[in-house]
Amino acid sequence: MGVYIGKRVLAIIPIILFSTLLMFVMIRVGPVDPAEAYLAAAHIQPDDEVLAAKRHEFGLDQPLLTQYIQSVGRLLRLDFGHSYLSNMPVWGEVAQKLPTTLQLASASIVLALVVSIPLGVLAAIYKNRLIDHVIRVFAYIGACVPVFWIGYLLMFFISVKLEWLPVEGRGSVQHLILPSITLALWLIAIYARLLRTTVLEELKEAYVRYARARGIKERVILYKYVLRIAIAPLITGLGINLGKLLTGAIIVEQVFSWPGFGRYFIEAIINRDIPVIQCYVMLSVCVIAGSNLIADLLQLFLDPRIARKGRASQG
Amino acid sequence: MFASKGKKLLQGLLVLLVISMVAAGCSSNNTEKSADAGGAQATKTITMAWPRDIGPMNPHLYNPSQLLAQSMIYEPLVSYQDGKLVPALAESWTLSPDGKVYTFKIRSNVKFSDGTAFNAQLVKKNMDAVLHNKKLHTWLGMIPLIEKTEALDDTTFRLTLTESYYPALYDLAVVRPVRFLGEAGFPEDGDTSKGIRSPIGTGPWVLSEYKKDESATFTPNPYYWGEKPKVDKVVVKVIPDAETRVLSFEKGDLDLIYGEGLISYDAYKELESTGKYVTKLSEPIATRNLVLNTMNAKLADLKVRQALSMGFNKEAMVEGVTLGLEEKADNILPPNLPYANIKVSPVKYDVEQANVLLDEAGWKLPSGGGVREKDGQALELELMYDKADLTMKAMAETLQAEWAGIGVNLKITGVELTVYIQRRKANEFDMNFYSTFGAPYDPHSFMTAVLQPGYGVSDTLAALPMKAEIDKKIKEGMATTDDKARTGLFGSVLTTLQEQSSILPISYIKQMAVYRDNVAEFKFPSNRDEYPLHGIEKK
Repeated sequence: MGVYIGKRVLAIIPIILFSTLLMFVMIRVGPVDPAEAYLAAAHIQPDDEVLAAKRHEFGLDQPLLTQYIQSVGRLLRLDFGHSYLSNMPVWGEVAQKLPTTLQLASASIVLALVVSIPLGVLAAIYKNRLIDHVIRVFAYIGACVPVFWIGYLLMFFISVKLEWLPVEGRGSVQHLILPSITLALWLIAIYARLLRTTVLEELKEAYVRYARARGIKERVILYKYVLRIAIAPLITGLGINLGKLLTGAIIVEQVFSWPGFGRYFIEAIINRDIPVIQCYVMLSVCVIAGSNLIADLLQLFLDPRIARKGRASQG
Repeated sequence: MFASKGKKLLQGLLVLLVISMVAAGCSSNNTEKSADAGGAQATKTITMAWPRDIGPMNPHLYNPSQLLAQSMIYEPLVSYQDGKLVPALAESWTLSPDGKVYTFKIRSNVKFSDGTAFNAQLVKKNMDAVLHNKKLHTWLGMIPLIEKTEALDDTTFRLTLTESYYPALYDLAVVRPVRFLGEAGFPEDGDTSKGIRSPIGTGPWVLSEYKKDESATFTPNPYYWGEKPKVDKVVVKVIPDAETRVLSFEKGDLDLIYGEGLISYDAYKELESTGKYVTKLSEPIATRNLVLNTMNAKLADLKVRQALSMGFNKEAMVEGVTLGLEEKADNILPPNLPYANIKVSPVKYDVEQANVLLDEAGWKLPSGGGVREKDGQALELELMYDKADLTMKAMAETLQAEWAGIGVNLKITGVELTVYIQRRKANEFDMNFYSTFGAPYDPHSFMTAVLQPGYGVSDTLAALPMKAEIDKKIKEGMATTDDKARTGLFGSVLTTLQEQSSILPISYIKQMAVYRDNVAEFKFPSNRDEYPLHGIEKK
């Protein structure tokens, strides 16, 4: 197990290096000069002399290879430099904003799991009955409707019309509810459907027939045996969907004025604030690769057949 | 065993949810109540929204410091009001006959928000800090011309320029970078370009509470020398999304929506149609023009430019695209600006005459109709616009459709803002939108754009036969100390440009304000970059 984890952690390093290279090339290929973007944001006429001074300050006047090597060197030292826009250390700003995003993301993940598991199970138990149809229609809608639109709808009905919750901002439990629901909705939709399918598949398995033959109650079979195995793909899915969750968080943070990392990233992209973009990309890669690893390990833990298969193939 | 693991996992998840909710709850010990407009009966609070965090509030720098906060905290030597320059921190000033030396009498009863005195030495210290970072501020015409700054005594400050430059006083009225930071706000080495210690100004407001990226609360400066603010608090909530700002206002969380581009025209009309709120439009603050590049051989012909000018229904376009929130413009600069009140004959929408002019210019319609041709070349032009600006986009599409009717093929290209600026600087476009700056920048900023390359105007006028004459008049107008002479010179420049139809006025841009009926004494500021918060009241 230890070797497996070690190998997987080491595999993240080339992924990070490749992603930094990709991002470096993409920013340079684009027609926008970060120094010009800075001046445009400040509404300063981009005079040649001022531009040259800014390029020098940002280190953009050096050869591309030197710039890349320097940026990788800094990344390895976990030094993300200073934001072009605010002139503040990127890491400091990120450390301030990251917990806010994590708070939103974790509330959404938990909400998604807590809601989607009963929905998926209900849909499976009552297959092709009214409740199943209702859950499936909900899942279709939840998976198709854009996140920002759901956000506006919730704001309009729940906050403006019913006045139950605040429209935007951060500060209380109430403030967290609408953004979490908005961010969780598509996950709930996907997971409910996924769980319905896997529960139905598991119910056809031989061990279920055997359990039934032994006279074990349906409820016990479902909750004690089937659900445990059916949840495993959800965990894997979470690892894969975390990337999408981060992108969703960018939109949700913008719509609900949630002062997190996503909003910081949007401003960085508009202003070509390369140090911030680099930091975001690297952290995203780490989070996605790390969450995939954790998801795999959790799956191993939840479904011992996988571990047995692994051992069998090694043997 | 596994079932209990599953159960434990579920329990774990529920605990996590509760923890994140509680964590959110714990951080709620803040100004929620005071930020809520509804709960602000005891203290008079105006709550408004801003798309960004107010930033470090450095008076001598730009983004991410926001003009809103800078204009509330810091003050200028002279202020721009209703087309005139009036005393602010300087109670009077004199100008030497050669137009180079300004001597300011500094107000003696002014204190910074930390209680320390404002004086001529601090004026000099601030000016010198700005000049230390001179390169960044060269866009402001006065900065490169400053030869000397002197504090003659506590209340006398002298500014010496290398040449006569009448807009110097207007440049001193802008919100940044020439406003004044208190001694305790300066960093140890005095170099404010690296940052400030604390936002200490002489303005009517002080920052009393600040939650980065969430909100900023301003309260009256207890040492303010002028008329005290009439509300107890101004809360600025950071709301980056325009639709959210509208919903937040409808919910009652905001008292006022003010600021360019803060809400869409649609949203303004929607709020207006409810009849529940006060909606107001300002006088014209700037003109949205269309620049026809005379360096393009097709557009070098006056008849082609005139044909294009009369070949579209400007009034209908402005009304349709802006829902009537901008006004059809006939003048390149709004006539309510200094030296800009010139008489012009409005161009009439006349498709027939436009066709005649194009025919006369040699651009003939092929027998089957379509795009006009001359010497085997089609009358095709490109209009570049900032793709994030939906008004520009809609206008570009309208022009494309309208001009197709007179046989002109208009290609419209939306580009990112920085690309837009690059292409404008390099003069790589046939046509382009150009909005004037507004007060206190115009007319001199527009005149500078006509005179100097790089601003997207001068280069486009290069093929005009009288360009040298225009430039000469602008230089004379900028340098003269004779107000009447300047009025004549600038009037003549503007009249020539109007006649040459290479800059086509499209619409007058206006400020929008939406507020609740418990807000009183709202008045649009004359300075485009300032905010109407000083005299505002709450019933």
